[in-house]
Amino acid sequence: MSSLATSILRRSVAEVDTPMHRIDPRVKFLFFIWISVWAYIFLDYVLTAIFLTTVLILTFIGKVFSKTVKAVAIVVVPWMAVGIPILSALFPWNKTLIYNLQLFGYNIPLYYEGAAWGVVWPLRIGVCLASAMFFLFTTEPVKLIALLFEFKMPFRFIYAVTGALQFTPILLDDLQTIIQAQRSRGMRTDVSLLKRLANYPVLIVPLTLSALNKVQIRAIALESRGFSAPVKKTWPYDLSLKRIDYIFLAGIIITTIIFIYIYIVYGFSPISHLKFYLAAG
Amino acid sequence: MGEAGERKVVPTGAKVVAAVMIPAIAALNYAGGVIVEVLKLPIWGDTWATMLGTLISGFWVGAIGGFLYNIIMALTLWGLPAWVWGFCNVLIALFTWIAIKMGWADIHKPVRLIPACLIFGFIYPIFCTIIGVGLFGGGPLAKPLPAMVYSATLAATKNFWLANYVQNISCEIPDKIASFIISLIIADRVPEKFKLMRR
Amino acid sequence: MSREPIVVYENFSYSYPTTPNALVDIDLKIYRGEVFGVIGPNGAGKSTFCKSLNGLVPHFYGGTVKGRVLVDGMDTLEHTTSELSMKVGLVFQEPETQLSGLALTVEDEVGFGLSMLGFPSEVIRKRTREALEKVGLKGFEKRSPSELSGGEQQRLAIATVLAMEPEIMVLDEPVALLDPIGKSEVLSVVKELAVEGSTIVIAEHEIEELAYFADRILVLNEGKMVSLDDSKKVLSEVEKLKKIGIDPPSVTELAYLLERDLGIKLEYPITLPEALKIFGELMEGG
Repeated sequence: MSSLATSILRRSVAEVDTPMHRIDPRVKFLFFIWISVWAYIFLDYVLTAIFLTTVLILTFIGKVFSKTVKAVAIVVVPWMAVGIPILSALFPWNKTLIYNLQLFGYNIPLYYEGAAWGVVWPLRIGVCLASAMFFLFTTEPVKLIALLFEFKMPFRFIYAVTGALQFTPILLDDLQTIIQAQRSRGMRTDVSLLKRLANYPVLIVPLTLSALNKVQIRAIALESRGFSAPVKKTWPYDLSLKRIDYIFLAGIIITTIIFIYIYIVYGFSPISHLKFYLAAG
Repeated sequence: MGEAGERKVVPTGAKVVAAVMIPAIAALNYAGGVIVEVLKLPIWGDTWATMLGTLISGFWVGAIGGFLYNIIMALTLWGLPAWVWGFCNVLIALFTWIAIKMGWADIHKPVRLIPACLIFGFIYPIFCTIIGVGLFGGGPLAKPLPAMVYSATLAATKNFWLANYVQNISCEIPDKIASFIISLIIADRVPEKFKLMRR
Repeated sequence: MSREPIVVYENFSYSYPTTPNALVDIDLKIYRGEVFGVIGPNGAGKSTFCKSLNGLVPHFYGGTVKGRVLVDGMDTLEHTTSELSMKVGLVFQEPETQLSGLALTVEDEVGFGLSMLGFPSEVIRKRTREALEKVGLKGFEKRSPSELSGGEQQRLAIATVLAMEPEIMVLDEPVALLDPIGKSEVLSVVKELAVEGSTIVIAEHEIEELAYFADRILVLNEGKMVSLDDSKKVLSEVEKLKKIGIDPPSVTELAYLLERDLGIKLEYPITLPEALKIFGELMEGG
């Protein structure tokens, strides 16, 4: 999982051009927020599954389908695999019996409410995740930074955010070196918990000292290049809306109207008719 | 006092260092998560740098750095709502800061660490529970031990909130205590010149 | 090399908040167009000296100051590092760490300093093109800075500084962390800049190389000035250098040993071509 995250951080957007790539990052960002919010407004696994499928179709058009599916699957599948069994048996608001499981001579009733709960929540996160990946994977990093400038954020803040994305792979490279060095000195990961715990500082201390050193150096280098100059910083990339952006935005607006209608008329669970629980049952 | 002609200069580097430190904290949190995966330790290990940042550079650096880490994770791996965990990281920075002010953050006096550990182990999970149930459905975690704790509590008490709270305690006690101790050890070892840039 | 001073140190002393006497009573002038070398053992104050040229010392660290440093008429105590960054460009030892951390392409990195100072895009583009050509990185514009080799990254750092068109270029041990290929790439860029007449201050351990293109050399030890003179004179003082822990060029040391142990008196060479000439004459003369 961490290697997937590393590859996300390290990626340079390949010179691909699809209609999805051409959409303005502001529009894609809006879409990401918009669909994530709607995934939370509706509590309906069928509807949420439709959302997810839609996003995945968009990623398919944008040729980033396999990366997105991998990322989503890693989070959603284990979650469902653990959640559905446990919740269908033990969810406090279980009412509708769907199956009686015979296990080791015990009779374990499994209920619909718990199972549905165990399906819909991971799906919701799946939608958020997939739409975020869609946004990130189909946008050139320089345009992402331009987006932050567009939001008129203070420069030090922009630096802090993008700096993290740049710093992390450097740090992880350092970590690899440290791990290899320690392994060749006899560090093992197939030993008892206590011994592994003892290895934790062995890895983390040199990494931190190296990181802090780098912070110092980078700080004085930035300062030497005018970082603290109290002027408006230039960023040489512009964003401008094109026809495809307006089409996409129109689609979002129309769908919003439809959703509002569905919500008002059919409630928050139009297809699977789930109920929402929060009070201690 | 200084000799004739000597002038003391006010340092201006702190702001730039903070701007670079903040992403470093986020990156170190991330690296912490990778390390615990490599060592297969049963803890999260990804909030220790928030504590470290607070210890050596003050509350704001730790809080923003920790929050930034969650934003990055939200954008890359966990999905949009995950940014809310950023507030938990801010809370961790806050609790660390309180520990510093109350003298509970001295690695050389281990007994004094206990109140801080209690806060991390029992009060902090309350907030985790609220977020976990409100935003993520309050189901079991996809890790074997916490999931078992969750199921056992739920089966025994039928209390949804309690199951979440106990599950969170079982995760957070080892994680936060280990993270707190490691961040104290490192903060203690950090050379003076880095602490110079403390805000 | 003109006789017009561009940097003046007037009895300058500096102490870091945690380290006293990093520089003690530095009094010197640096002239426009010269290549000014700075050598000394570890901890001598070379880095501090470099940083005192653009105001990092004292502003970034704080500490205490005596005397003053004038860079093209500007007192470093009265001006911020940002203001001085247009006059003095500083290149550090660490190739990747000194990069901005914000730029995703080489050309963005080169333009970084100008972006920070708010220059308009067209100016940035033009100066970026020119700087990249000067350091031999034309064609690398769209590459990611972290993909480059150490030598390429250092040249990129030099380009970043060149784009700001400073009066003085300061390099703090620029090749210390590079492999031999990287070293020669970077040094040849520096030499070209020297030939074109730029004012260069370079702190180095590679004294052999410095001997080839430095006009004058400053020797520092424990923050104090030990010698400041033409390169040839400074590097010929073999005993003095060795006492404070610096190794002069091998050919110079050879000449010294020939004199000390075999009584052969001759002019001390500091570069290979000089040595060839001097030793050659010696051997022919019999």
